[in-house]
Amino acid sequence: MEEVKVKKEIDLSDPAEIENRIKELCQQFPHGITDQVIQNDLPHLEPQQRAMAINKLLSLGQLDLLRNSSGLLYRLKDSQSTSKMKGSDNQEKLVYQIIEDAGNKGIWSRDIRFKSNLPLTEINKILKNLESKKLIKAVKSVAASKKKVYMLYNLQPDRSVTGGAWYSDQDFESEFVEVLNQQCFKFLQSKAEAARDSKQSPMVQRNSSFATSHEVWKYICELGISKVDLSMDDIETILNTLIYDGKAEMTVIAAKEGTVGSVDGQMKLYRGVNPIIQPTGLVKTPCGLCPVFDDCHEGGEISPSTCIYMTEWLEF
Amino acid sequence: MTAQEVRLCGLLLREHFGEVVEKVGTHLLRNGTQNLRTIIHETGIPVDLVKKSLCVLVQHGACVFSSGRKGPGSPTEYQTGCDRILRILRYPRYIYTSKTLYGDTGELIIEELLQRGHMTMSSTVKTVADRLTQNMEEGHSMDYSEVSSTFSKLVETHFLQRCPPLAQKTDVMTTATPATPGAPADPVSTTLSTPESFPDCYKVPHVTLIGRGKRQLSGDDGEDQKNAKKARLDSDTHGDEGIYWQVNFERFHLHFRDQAIISAVANKLDQTTSEIVRTMLRMSEVMTAPTATCTKPLSANEIFRSLPTSYNISRPILDQYLTLLVDDPMEFVGKAGESGGGVYVVNLHRALANLARATLESVVQERFGSRSARIFRLLLRKRHLEQKQVEDFAMIPAKEAKDMLYTLLSQNLVQLQEIPKTPDYAPSRTFYLYTVSQLPTARMLLQNCYKTVANLIERRLFETKDSKRLLEKSQRIEAILASLQASGAEPEQLTEVEEMITAPEKQQLESLRVHINKLDSAENQVDETIFLLESYISSTATLTS
Repeated sequence: MEEVKVKKEIDLSDPAEIENRIKELCQQFPHGITDQVIQNDLPHLEPQQRAMAINKLLSLGQLDLLRNSSGLLYRLKDSQSTSKMKGSDNQEKLVYQIIEDAGNKGIWSRDIRFKSNLPLTEINKILKNLESKKLIKAVKSVAASKKKVYMLYNLQPDRSVTGGAWYSDQDFESEFVEVLNQQCFKFLQSKAEAARDSKQSPMVQRNSSFATSHEVWKYICELGISKVDLSMDDIETILNTLIYDGKAEMTVIAAKEGTVGSVDGQMKLYRGVNPIIQPTGLVKTPCGLCPVFDDCHEGGEISPSTCIYMTEWLEF
Repeated sequence: MTAQEVRLCGLLLREHFGEVVEKVGTHLLRNGTQNLRTIIHETGIPVDLVKKSLCVLVQHGACVFSSGRKGPGSPTEYQTGCDRILRILRYPRYIYTSKTLYGDTGELIIEELLQRGHMTMSSTVKTVADRLTQNMEEGHSMDYSEVSSTFSKLVETHFLQRCPPLAQKTDVMTTATPATPGAPADPVSTTLSTPESFPDCYKVPHVTLIGRGKRQLSGDDGEDQKNAKKARLDSDTHGDEGIYWQVNFERFHLHFRDQAIISAVANKLDQTTSEIVRTMLRMSEVMTAPTATCTKPLSANEIFRSLPTSYNISRPILDQYLTLLVDDPMEFVGKAGESGGGVYVVNLHRALANLARATLESVVQERFGSRSARIFRLLLRKRHLEQKQVEDFAMIPAKEAKDMLYTLLSQNLVQLQEIPKTPDYAPSRTFYLYTVSQLPTARMLLQNCYKTVANLIERRLFETKDSKRLLEKSQRIEAILASLQASGAEPEQLTEVEEMITAPEKQQLESLRVHINKLDSAENQVDETIFLLESYISSTATLTS
């Protein structure tokens, strides 16, 4: 009844009234309203007046204009952000909006300039301003150490920005990775050894030498070598480096939905393997490792007869 | 023929046949087919020396001659190839293999044939028997029949083959050069060895050999076993004149290849599995063509029956092992069908490719460290990657990864592919993809191997030259000692002579011996790499053709 009353009371000649009514409508439909909704609600409103009212709301930053499949949508802007932005000018709002759109990936100041068409000095000023208000923050990206990206203050930066578990303060923790790599290998190896010693049929031996990525993950977590929490994906990346080291191989098997460690009905199995050959003959000679191999000629400054590497190797 | 190959060939020729042959050989290698007159003119070596060196090369199958290309009547031309000369490097391995397979007798037969290029069966048997007898105690002697049976075994297993027979040469003579009076005064023209004429080369020996072997035996009755080497110059006939034998290198290579595959399986899986693969390879040994990509299909039943009983593998266990082999990502063994309890093949070429890949990886690993090897393997697996992707997959910090990639790139182990988004190749709008191509890399490493062996030989020659005086002295003293001992000299005299070599000199000799041994074994090790890479490269050649 209230609403009906309100509706009836609307004075079409007062722009403020119309604006309020539109805002109310927006509150009723938090997902946004189309032009049609407003028309239905205020059938006697002139299109020109309607446009004027909406434009005013838009410029005040109280409405958001969105586009979806059925056309344009009007939505009420977050009262929070509007309150935050109180006392800022349009440029600041624009920059804030661009940064907000970038989400937790952040955006580089040069990209802000392209998107906003504002001069860089202006943007820097605005960014500093916003930062001091604790609306946005600058995060150093691991991709390029000198590149700062900006994002909203309350956001957790994306993995691509921080580099995930492998980075601390933009530095890649290669020792950490190496240690994990070795530990994973140790685990797989001991598993393979246990399988070999079990003296069971070859098939059972092979199958028991496999470890799921979940098992490895649990092992690593229980070891407690990591200060940060590692996810299964992190462990799988480590296990993949073992594959590239030629020390492990992987197979994927179908698993029942809900089995521990299965992802999308699949389970990744890893196992340690032995290399198929010993270091090849070539690299057992000094020439195979020689840094000046290409400059070596008989009778030249560097020659096999006078080679110091060769002498060292022979004396060894 | 690359410069490295020619250099290595020259060194090998010099070591085995002397400097003149080296000169003629390398000249022929560098300049291709030439006639006698040009060789003499261009090398400046006297006619008779050139003729003799050509004889040596022809005798060892390193040189072929054919009537001139300019039609009948034009001078005979000579041509030589690197392949045969490079085999010299592998002689120790052939000899060792024959020793493990056929004992001392086999070893000596192969050794004699390798040293002399080609021989008749009768003279080989005699020489070998003589040499064996010499090493035996007084009163014992080696029976010819034993040696000849080993010889026929070697032929049966194709390790020896007939030199292309006389008939071929007469063919050539009658068809191509009826007007010319044959090759110019070439004493061994009968053994004109056109590369391979397999069909009769393999069938004929089987049958005729056994008969001839017997005949020869009867002819040898009552002959003095203690005959010196000259015995083979005897004019008695043994019924096999004109039939010469040579070592079948290809067969040895197949054997090496099989051994390599077996040991790879043993390393990757386990001993028992490798024995199964060994059985499979042995079963298909004779049936499979040398260049086949995989062995003839073998059913599980057949394999089971051929397994030596000592392995104690039951049928279900064998099936499990075979399944494991098929499942293995290296794919040494493949499944060809389901009939007869499953039909299996050994993927020879894939195994070679895998072995070659492991060789490349090992080179990178040893030379640039395990992290570079990680990048290398990563690129081998994923084909094309951008620098950023390499860093992410390999989990290597950007700076180090960049460094390693560039080093690998500068050594030609990794290639860089540019894919521009715009036609101007602007760096900012171009993808830079790193990739590894196995075959060209293998070729490059093969050349490096040739150079390495040449370097090792060069160094060995240098070391020997350096202490030439010392070596001569020790040899002289040993000779004096031997003669003194023979004449029954007193012990004081002997020690006096012995002391002519001073302690530091002795030390020097000892260290020289160690050095030479080390270089020798290194040469053999590098040759194993060469073998793997060569087989891989030739296997890809047959794939594409």
